[in-house]
Amino acid sequence: VNEPTASSATGIYVYGVVTSETPTALFAGVGGVHASEPTTLIRDSGLAAIAGHVRLDEFGEEALPQNLRDAAWLEAKVRAHDEVLAAAVGHTTVVPFRFGAIYESEAHVRAMLAERRDLVDALERLSGAVELGVNAYLDRERLRTRRAAERSVPTEAGSGRAYMQRRQLERALDDEVGSFAGEVAHASHERLASTAEDARLNPVRPAAGVGPGDMVLNGAYLVPVAREKELRAAVAELQERYADDGVLYELTGPWPPYNFVEREQA
Amino acid sequence: MSSPSPALQQQVTLVELVDRVLNKGVTLSGDITLSIAGVDLVYVGLRIVLASVSTLERIEQEQS
Repeated sequence: VNEPTASSATGIYVYGVVTSETPTALFAGVGGVHASEPTTLIRDSGLAAIAGHVRLDEFGEEALPQNLRDAAWLEAKVRAHDEVLAAAVGHTTVVPFRFGAIYESEAHVRAMLAERRDLVDALERLSGAVELGVNAYLDRERLRTRRAAERSVPTEAGSGRAYMQRRQLERALDDEVGSFAGEVAHASHERLASTAEDARLNPVRPAAGVGPGDMVLNGAYLVPVAREKELRAAVAELQERYADDGVLYELTGPWPPYNFVEREQA
Repeated sequence: MSSPSPALQQQVTLVELVDRVLNKGVTLSGDITLSIAGVDLVYVGLRIVLASVSTLERIEQEQS
């Protein structure tokens, strides 16, 4: 990385870390958060930081708070951050950094690489593995209708006893649907985790009001590239098992292992 | 159950992406010279992105 002439006006944005043997060419075609600056590797102590210059009038302490409030800016930069890391996925192991790791100079990046020996361990731990995301959504109405159909519903309209029975049925159905959501989340996570080296259960996101229903599973699974098929097969198997109950599965990735680097927090 | 439109699907992927890029990944607080200006601000940005996603979903729902 050559220091630009106006070095005070730029910083170095770090996307993540790979081993020092990684060829720079892997990132040659990727734009990054600052499109006009090439994405490159800064090597030190057996590690290489995936990095690129950013202007401080865009990423500096004064500009950043404003820009973070701009949804279009943030979306573009978040996508760019992931695109750079995604270039490594499937080619070499990458330890992803969170958005916004900006260093003053190349020397500071080198110092970080020399200091953070835990990143070497992380590369080893994550070696050859990718992250897959699995979400499951439950269409509660569909499940409720199905469960109700399995029971005898009192039909004598107007009768007090029938009313009470219907109320009881409603309550029982509420309970059933609620416990089913928990069961399907647990069973799915267990099944998927059995195909993975490591697994994370994230909080479900609130319902958006449209789409396939309420989120009941927000899981992340660390799988060796060669065993990705097994996890995909497990998702297909779960989909088949629970489709009639109104469950829809969604698989995302392969991702850089964003969910599996908590240990490396400073 | 209707399958989500490609545009909605893209936005779902964006939520997945934002969740990972802004909330996960290694943070090196001690080492960063110019750190991101406070985690709270990232969440402000995140909420804006998420809000724009739900706006899009509403628009799609109204159109369908």
